[in-house]
Amino acid sequence: MREITYLEAVREAMTQEMERDSRVFLIGEDVGEYGGAFQVSYGMLEKFGPERILDTPITELGLTGAATGAALIGMRPIAEIMFMDFTTLASEQLVNQAAKLRFMFGGNATVPLVLRTPAGSGTGAAEHHSQSFENWFVHVPGLKVVMPTTPYDAKGLLIASIRDDNPVVFIEHKLLYKTKGDVPEELYEIPLGKADIKREGKDLTIIATSIMVQRSLQAAEELAKDGIDVEIVDPRTLRPLDTETIVNSVKKTGKVLIVHEAVKTGGFGGELAGVIAESEAFGYLDAPILRLAGREVPIPYNRNLELKAVPQVEDIIQKARELVNLRV
Amino acid sequence: MAIEMIMPKVDMDQETGTVVEWLKGNGQQVEEGETILVMETDKIAIDVEAPGTGILDGISANPGDVVPIGTVIAYILAEGEDLPKKPIESKEPVLEIPESSVPAEIEISATPVARNMAAVHGVNLAVVDSTGTGGKVTKADVQAVVSRAAKPVDPREIYATPAARRTARIEAVNMGLVRGSGPGSRIQVADVKGYLTSKTQADFAASPQIQAGEVIPLIGMRRTIAERLTASYQSIPHIQFTVRVDMTNFFKARNDYNELALKRGDDKVSVTAVLVKLVSMVLTDHPWVNSSLIDDKIILHKDINIGVAVALEKGLIVPVVKNADQKGISLIAFETNDLITRAREENLNSADVKDGTFTITNLGPFGVEQFNAIINPPEACILAVGSTTSEVVALPDGTIATRPIMRLTLSADHRIVDGAVAARFIGDLKTTLENPILMNY
Repeated sequence: MREITYLEAVREAMTQEMERDSRVFLIGEDVGEYGGAFQVSYGMLEKFGPERILDTPITELGLTGAATGAALIGMRPIAEIMFMDFTTLASEQLVNQAAKLRFMFGGNATVPLVLRTPAGSGTGAAEHHSQSFENWFVHVPGLKVVMPTTPYDAKGLLIASIRDDNPVVFIEHKLLYKTKGDVPEELYEIPLGKADIKREGKDLTIIATSIMVQRSLQAAEELAKDGIDVEIVDPRTLRPLDTETIVNSVKKTGKVLIVHEAVKTGGFGGELAGVIAESEAFGYLDAPILRLAGREVPIPYNRNLELKAVPQVEDIIQKARELVNLRV
Repeated sequence: MAIEMIMPKVDMDQETGTVVEWLKGNGQQVEEGETILVMETDKIAIDVEAPGTGILDGISANPGDVVPIGTVIAYILAEGEDLPKKPIESKEPVLEIPESSVPAEIEISATPVARNMAAVHGVNLAVVDSTGTGGKVTKADVQAVVSRAAKPVDPREIYATPAARRTARIEAVNMGLVRGSGPGSRIQVADVKGYLTSKTQADFAASPQIQAGEVIPLIGMRRTIAERLTASYQSIPHIQFTVRVDMTNFFKARNDYNELALKRGDDKVSVTAVLVKLVSMVLTDHPWVNSSLIDDKIILHKDINIGVAVALEKGLIVPVVKNADQKGISLIAFETNDLITRAREENLNSADVKDGTFTITNLGPFGVEQFNAIINPPEACILAVGSTTSEVVALPDGTIATRPIMRLTLSADHRIVDGAVAARFIGDLKTTLENPILMNY
């Protein structure tokens, strides 16, 4: 199969969906002439013209509101927020309007909006351009939250998100943009709410999101050399969550390590731990559920501190060893 | 279906509503949307519409009543429909305590032993089901009550993982008996499973039919022995070969050695010492017998290190005479005596029991004529030495004589030691033991 980057997979999903459905359009800051802050929409202005690739002023609230309104009257907008950090500004429209309207109108209105945004640290972009806010949106009924890990998942999940009648927060990762993988050229959907087992194993379940799936896979290779057989579950969609796949994996291994980049306190790991503890998997746990997540600090600018602020491969290896060797 | 009319919520912070006036009464026809009730909150009075069309009935809140919101206060019925039955109020169940039917203890017929036992354990004989003749309570009857009373430990007092608890519950394991291997002695699922494996024996001992003696947990040296022997016996295909050895010349040689040792003031030369020496000499010609299968590799050892099994009170230990083929009888005699003494005093260090390549186990002193030993991994072979007894044998010239005969049985790891290889070794060993002088050839 053909190999392309994660970034190209996102662009291809948008392009192919826009070709297929004239209601789909892209709106955001610098998405047109500049081609997007990370060049995700590079070349799309030339292809689709300024009516479907809309550059807006610097107002996340305004562009999200415009996209919500367009969605309400039957369009299928893709809104890009340049950095996830700026979704704070968009959240009024997203949380208090887009997420609520379908319920408030008794199902007579839909908001088929996709809000795409890159999250995560590792680029030296410091406090205001490195955060991972997924759990804020997971907390809102009416929103769906998607975090793809591979180019294949990025394309299939973005297409499914565009076709979904509900507002979807689609969270990309800056460091994953350049990663490569096999991606079919044709259109395909990966259903929202379906987790993926990225690696099968029997000694330990690692549930990881976004870039942490890649780091966990690297850690698993190292751990395999010591005979530790790790299973890696990638939820892919945080809301709705595929609890069945998670519960089954935990029942198999009896040990769970949750890894995400967002700050630990109030992070998605707490939700995962709760889901597991409430489920039938509880009786299969042979060690405490561990979370490995971002430290309780803003992402520092200093390169060394930036690396220390979020889980790295070595941290995952160490925590996994502690769990498997019953040191916790 | 009767339509329920509820006390509505009209204010954000409203919890109750007060009935002011019903505009329609029981049995009257009402239309959906028609005002039929006036109610008030602590802020306003408000008209309430009929939630459906039909006959109003079952009004349960009268003017002035303060009713929580959501409470059904009336029904609207279809023509000919009856009021829904109210759910039957649940009464507090009353426990009926029967009058005591327990007769006085003095009247109970019991054997003297049962009576004693009941007194010791504080068992009321009246609650014991009797099985003896004429309704007599027997010792076994009391015992059954006593063992039932032995309560399992409260699981909340046990430190264990959920998986361990679940397994214990399914397998009906009393977790109080399981030793935890996790941090802080937390019981893991593996501990429960390990306990289960040894449970059959424990159950047997704890069975009320059999008087339980001491119950010993499988720990320490005993556990190591149990695990190693099980692993060896289950994973290694053992083959065994027995030979009869005429020990006449062997004992003659040993006596000669001892005379010399006495003169020199050396240690006495034991049968074991001579065996160690001769076995090691023969092994130099049979590298496959002195080998190990480790991780898909067969290692033919350069060194010949002979382990000597020593029985101890609490188990068995195998100290090793290193490079026995290179050492003289007197040195081997000194070393074996020293190792065996220190083994019995529990003074061996880890180097003393390491790196064996072949083991000799001798149950001859116990009168055992012949036996099969289990291989001591990763060694490939073990030699079981039986007792020496005076037996009648036919000599080559056709006459009959009595000779000291000893039986040797070699257990070999058949994965790496072929039958012929083992047979040649034990044949050579027999020849050497019968003619120790060949050792010096």
